[in-house]
Amino acid sequence: MEVVVASSSVDAGIGCWDLHTGAEQLRHKSCSSPPHGLISVGGRFLASSHLSPLSSGGSVLFWSWSKPQVGVRCFPAETIKPLSANHPGTYIAGGGVSGGIYLWEVETGRLLKKWNAHYRAVTCLVFSEDDSLLISGSEDGSVRVWSLFMIFDDLRSQEATHLYEHSFTGHALRVTDVVIGYGCSNAIIVSASEDRTCKVWSLSTGALLRNIVFPAIIDAIVLDPAEHVFYAGSRDGKIFIVALHTESLVTSNDGMHIVGSFSNHSKSVTCLAYGISGNLLISGSEDGMIRVWNARTHNIVRMFKYAKGPVSNICVVRPEIDSTSHILQSSSRKQGSDLPPPLEKYANSVEDSDAKTPIVLCGAKRCAKVSYLSSHAISSHVKELQRHGSAAASELEMEKLKDDYQKSMQMVNQWKKMYENLHQFCVKELLDGGQASVSDENNK
Amino acid sequence: MTRSKANSKKHRGVDFKKIRRKIGKKLPPPKNATNTEIKSKAIVLPEQSVAADKAGLAVNKKGLTLKELLQQTSHHNAKVRRDALVGIKDLFNKFPTEMKLHKYAAIEKLRERIGDDDKVVRKTLYDLFKSVILPGCKEDNQELIVSLLMAYIFNAMTHFSFDIRIMAFDFLDLVLLFYPPSFASFAEKIFQNYEDILRKNQYFSQDRGKLKDALAGLIRCLSLLPWNKGETNLVNKNENGRILLHAFHDDMPRSPNGFSHIIKKLRDIAPLLINSFLEFTPSITAMASIEGKSFGCMLSILHGIDLIIRSFVYGADKDSESPSMEGEPNGAMWDVKISSILLKKLFPLFPLSPAHHLSEKDNNRLVDLNMAVAKIFFELNEWICLPPDLLEKFLEFMEHALLGQVCEGARSDNAVSEKRLIQLLPFIPKFVSRGASYWTTRLLQAFTYIFRESKPGSLLKLACLSAIEDMLTPIQAMLSLETSNPENLKLQESLMAWIAELPLLLIQLGDNHPACSEVALRLQLHIGQRAFSNSSLACMYDDIQDKLQNFYCTCQGEEGKKCCGSFVRLPRECQELSLCCLYYLSHLDLPILKSIACCCLSPELDPSVLFRIIEILHSAYREGHIKIADHLSIFITLVLHFKVSPEGSSGLKSDIFCQTIKSMTTLLCSYMAQIGGNYLVLNIIEKVIIDHILLKPPLDNSCCLLRMIVTVDSKPTRLSEQSIITLGTYLSQYLIDAAQCLPEDYDEQCKSSTQLTTVHYYLLPCFFLFDRCHKLLNLVLKTMGSAVAESSLWPISDNCTRHPNNWLVRVNAVASVLLLINKDPKMQQIMSSCKEGVDSIIQNVSSLQSSEKISMTIEERHKIKCRYDRLKILLR
Repeated sequence: MEVVVASSSVDAGIGCWDLHTGAEQLRHKSCSSPPHGLISVGGRFLASSHLSPLSSGGSVLFWSWSKPQVGVRCFPAETIKPLSANHPGTYIAGGGVSGGIYLWEVETGRLLKKWNAHYRAVTCLVFSEDDSLLISGSEDGSVRVWSLFMIFDDLRSQEATHLYEHSFTGHALRVTDVVIGYGCSNAIIVSASEDRTCKVWSLSTGALLRNIVFPAIIDAIVLDPAEHVFYAGSRDGKIFIVALHTESLVTSNDGMHIVGSFSNHSKSVTCLAYGISGNLLISGSEDGMIRVWNARTHNIVRMFKYAKGPVSNICVVRPEIDSTSHILQSSSRKQGSDLPPPLEKYANSVEDSDAKTPIVLCGAKRCAKVSYLSSHAISSHVKELQRHGSAAASELEMEKLKDDYQKSMQMVNQWKKMYENLHQFCVKELLDGGQASVSDENNK
Repeated sequence: MTRSKANSKKHRGVDFKKIRRKIGKKLPPPKNATNTEIKSKAIVLPEQSVAADKAGLAVNKKGLTLKELLQQTSHHNAKVRRDALVGIKDLFNKFPTEMKLHKYAAIEKLRERIGDDDKVVRKTLYDLFKSVILPGCKEDNQELIVSLLMAYIFNAMTHFSFDIRIMAFDFLDLVLLFYPPSFASFAEKIFQNYEDILRKNQYFSQDRGKLKDALAGLIRCLSLLPWNKGETNLVNKNENGRILLHAFHDDMPRSPNGFSHIIKKLRDIAPLLINSFLEFTPSITAMASIEGKSFGCMLSILHGIDLIIRSFVYGADKDSESPSMEGEPNGAMWDVKISSILLKKLFPLFPLSPAHHLSEKDNNRLVDLNMAVAKIFFELNEWICLPPDLLEKFLEFMEHALLGQVCEGARSDNAVSEKRLIQLLPFIPKFVSRGASYWTTRLLQAFTYIFRESKPGSLLKLACLSAIEDMLTPIQAMLSLETSNPENLKLQESLMAWIAELPLLLIQLGDNHPACSEVALRLQLHIGQRAFSNSSLACMYDDIQDKLQNFYCTCQGEEGKKCCGSFVRLPRECQELSLCCLYYLSHLDLPILKSIACCCLSPELDPSVLFRIIEILHSAYREGHIKIADHLSIFITLVLHFKVSPEGSSGLKSDIFCQTIKSMTTLLCSYMAQIGGNYLVLNIIEKVIIDHILLKPPLDNSCCLLRMIVTVDSKPTRLSEQSIITLGTYLSQYLIDAAQCLPEDYDEQCKSSTQLTTVHYYLLPCFFLFDRCHKLLNLVLKTMGSAVAESSLWPISDNCTRHPNNWLVRVNAVASVLLLINKDPKMQQIMSSCKEGVDSIIQNVSSLQSSEKISMTIEERHKIKCRYDRLKILLR
């Protein structure tokens, strides 16, 4: 089942619709998330940053698929706006308003790392296809690429002058959206900004490949799965189609590289998403409608009425809901849900050296406590090895080896005997046979 | 000899019979002979001129073919050779196809002349290659052509004659210009040749000019090295529109891996250059004046050393990045050797000071040399740590240079000193990034001085701006670490001085130096992007807005006549950048908003820029940088004061401005809707708009004001009682004015006329208001009714003084308003609910018609009658 999940920046809950049947699912309550603030964590549950209009601080909320109420509330050290989770859903990254990026482990809720990423608030966060890179866009107009290897390598990060792999500083105003293409190290990054441009960057060289100027501010972009084009949703209600493969062509009046546009929004397009299966483009608008387009024909296939307020986020998710959860829920832990513990506020300075490393298997439906105690295993191995090293052990080993040696010597002798026997037998046979044939000829 | 022998043989031979032949008698022809005689009646020559055999062939002016000319190039006479070359040039110019066909053959022959003994021939050949052959072979296999030529060029480089060698370097230049990638494959050999030529300094002691030529060539080659031409790459980066995204990129020429062996070669050249420089120094310290040529030589030597050092620094960087696989352990030792030579020989000479008092010109030259040495020093300082006492000496020199104290009397020669300073400026950020110290403070003070003093729009200013840009990151990092350090305080001071200087610079620049303005604005933007709330940088950045006011709009005279600032006249990119700067101000105060609004109202401003300004202001508002009241008051100001008919074209509306105000209002209304909390917004704008509407602004502006109210109002209306009454009286007049836009003989039939659409545009907001508040319609009808009744009493109205019989016009207008309202199906329903208002109007019209107070012509009376009838028919 493919579910379209949408939220708004004013409190209207999270709406869920089945993309293919159009049936509305459960509406989760009390969520007002800023743009890029709604994610599904590995398809297991929903997480969203929450800006409550009353209090100044923000929080991060979790919902399980089956319940409309907020499951877990987390209160990070500062207001978090954009959120991002890696594909299996083991880590959540959040961007703070002061420009810091936080990285949490989902299963334990530990804050693994916090680093100062930008001069101003982070506006969008994206994990790369292989989850090794994190790309962040900021209000200060820069887009930065972070390698998680570098972030967690204390030695190298101290030596280096900067943590980031690339810092793209081409935009004059805040970055509104960032997407990364396929192709791992040779991928392209497309960033949109309030300066009315979209820029295409090369991940491998860090060079600006293209600068596309639009007639209006672009708030959302999405890549076509084949990377032939990307779609850009603008504030004047149009969705522009921008060619990626063709060389500079001016085919429409809008500008270079812009192949065309389509629009049925009276108000601005705030978010875009691409369906997982089927060639469907989903757009959210300021007027509270979610439109599903056939990406080839640009016709509206379906429309979901979300709310009166603007739609700020759309995700397309394949949720992992299994039927057993209802039965298990009664027996499950204190919160009565399958949600992980809340995200911690500060990083623990005293870290347990034998910390458990939880690994969530993607296929596992219930991934509650699948954790491998690898460090224990290693230490037991070490002990064993040390034991092997002692004198007694070596003597024992010697004995064993001698025994083995004798045994194999016996075996060899036996083999030799057998071989000689066989050899004699064969020679005899041959000679006999030869004589026989000779005598045969003579007889003829 | 042979004959005598033959004779003796004859004598001896008895066996041979002597045959006698009679002279004059013919032998009979042999029997098997073939008759070879040709007989013809006439001989026909197709042509009889000398050039006949060259018909159809390409020839030059002198009628020689390419083959002949090429043959002549190896003639022993220099003059013939030269003529042949000139001829070839002529031929190729005339017949480009000839060159296409035979270029390889021609080049193969011509290359022999590279080592020609005669100077004129070489010169001509150079000319021929430069102007004809190489440009013509651009599309062909360039590598082949280059390899054809290269062998002979190298050959000429080792020629005994010095002139030929120098000329060979010229040819080399030409080839490199023609196909730069070829440099990579020949670089080692080229530098080897330079090394050889520099070793033979006995030639140079006599002729400084030749040394200068050789050095010039060397410097050109050095600057062709990939790391020394970084600047040109930057320019190309802007051309990113045509790059294919997923194309295969040929990165062969870019990767400078093949150059590591060249660095080794350069190590050999460096000491040579230093030595030859040392040969010159005694002459400087001893002599009273510096000879022009030797000065030139010294300068180019220093330049060469500089370029070589840069290559070393580059090589060292590359090694540190990737531990070299070639693994040459003595590489570092070599570098140490060179740096020690520099330390021992070159740097102790610094600063070069004259023994005698020199003339001003010589003084300048000396300063030039010192600057060049200083540049080398700082370049080397990036690479290895040099002794601190030496560093201090150079830093002091730099400070003096910045403060302009190096050459006392030479202030007049600004252009030269600027050029020198520009070279030194990039080292300041590098030095600063090493950490705050006593010297950074001193240097930064001097830097601030030069930044202030330099002429706006000059190259020096540009260099200063880029230096500031480079210093931002290190300074910000230092400031964020600790604040107690006294040096940090100084850093902050200088940063503040620069930031405060920027808006002044922008105003000074005006619109004369768009490029410089762009750089300054970009710097300002980058500062803004880094200035996050409550940091000291943010405070500094917020302070610039007072000074920026004049950039957008300047007040002139006592009466406060507003005039546009330089913003309006700058190119589009600069405008965009300066608007982006506004976005990053943490709060936009009223004065700057006022001046921006004033700028928006300027008729010179392009509408697209106007819309962009509004868009950015709205973005800033969404970030909370503008107060809501200020934001809305800007909207109202824009709508209210936008001049549809600017001065000069009195009365006549131009369509462009009408269109602009319409789309601007649409934009503003959509933003107002986005603000949210319409009731709140209405509360804020209601009173202001009603107050302004009473002042009766022009029709277009009032219409836009009404549209704004309609946008935030709801059904039923939330307007206060008081404002409804005010609007009631105002709207009747407004409707009448609007209806007067229609021609008098307006006809129902022409439905799609432009006037009708404009009038409908004016009426539409009123319809919304009426729909939301029926009382308002009643009020309006009542006022209109009384207006008709009183129209005879007020002979002259404000708006239609031109018409002598304005009451007639007025009645006409009222009638058409009613008709128009009635046309709208929804309004028709509402109208039916206010029957008595309509009836009273009709009553008044009929009474007017029958009244005897006013004299009417029959024609007029007829008109009124017609109107009356139509009203009656429609409204019944």
